[in-house]
Amino acid sequence: MQLQDKHRVAILSAYALALHGFETLFPTPIPWLKPGFANIITLVALLLYGFRTALMVTLIRVVLASIFIGTFLGPAFILSTGGGLASVVAMGLSIKYFKNIFGTVGISLIGALFHNIAQLSLAYYFFIQRLEAVLIISPAILLIGSLTGIVNGIVSDILIKKLLKKETEKIQNVVHKTT
Amino acid sequence: MADRLLFFLLISLAIAGIFVSRDALSKGSDVIIEVDGKPTYTLPLYTDRLLSVVGPHGDTLVEIQGGKVRVKEAHCRNQICVREGWVSRGVIVCLPNKLVIIVGGSNKYKKQGLDAITG
Repeated sequence: MQLQDKHRVAILSAYALALHGFETLFPTPIPWLKPGFANIITLVALLLYGFRTALMVTLIRVVLASIFIGTFLGPAFILSTGGGLASVVAMGLSIKYFKNIFGTVGISLIGALFHNIAQLSLAYYFFIQRLEAVLIISPAILLIGSLTGIVNGIVSDILIKKLLKKETEKIQNVVHKTT
Repeated sequence: MADRLLFFLLISLAIAGIFVSRDALSKGSDVIIEVDGKPTYTLPLYTDRLLSVVGPHGDTLVEIQGGKVRVKEAHCRNQICVREGWVSRGVIVCLPNKLVIIVGGSNKYKKQGLDAITG
């Protein structure tokens, strides 16, 4: 890995970490409900710099955020890691095979969908073990996940277009606006 | 781009799922058996089981199977509770035995869902 790539991973991880941490502080109607803004960074990394960068950014974000928040190796960490990995793999595969079919928003939706599927499966296997409870809660999670997936996709699309224009000064503005 | 198609597919799937699960939820998931006005047993509706409840007219045999409940055998004169057959929601009452079987309506399991998930 070149030095430039390392810097890129570091900066992207920092952004993702900041968004992840900010979300935790942000009050939501249901405690475990989060908009997943950190996926914006994952998606941008995936589309601009490839799968490896995105995977590294996700792993660094998930591990460091859980250490900062205090959930490292706890249930939330397992769910977070599983969701993050599933989403980055699903998005990577869909970019590889369906790039002509789906745009940025579509890929974000796929990511959100697999994030939710992975989290629900993990929650079922490790913590709840009541299929009815999972089935009852999954449509609501799917709905909210799709809505936040759309928002994240649109933001990522804007971000990618701006980045491609290489207007480096504006990047920070966009990130500020979206937070 | 198929983005919009995917979005509408997911949203409609989710909304349909919410209605389906609401329907399933209103069925209730608990069987509460009251003897003499006191809730004596609370059993899950989806665990098959044969239970004998002691009452003033002898033992009443309550059967839970496949999300339904019935009184299999009761030693009372009119046998109303036995004739009610399989019940998936509502109440079975046996007055001589002071027995009330309530199907569903419990919040116990609904609250047992997720405590915390953070992405």
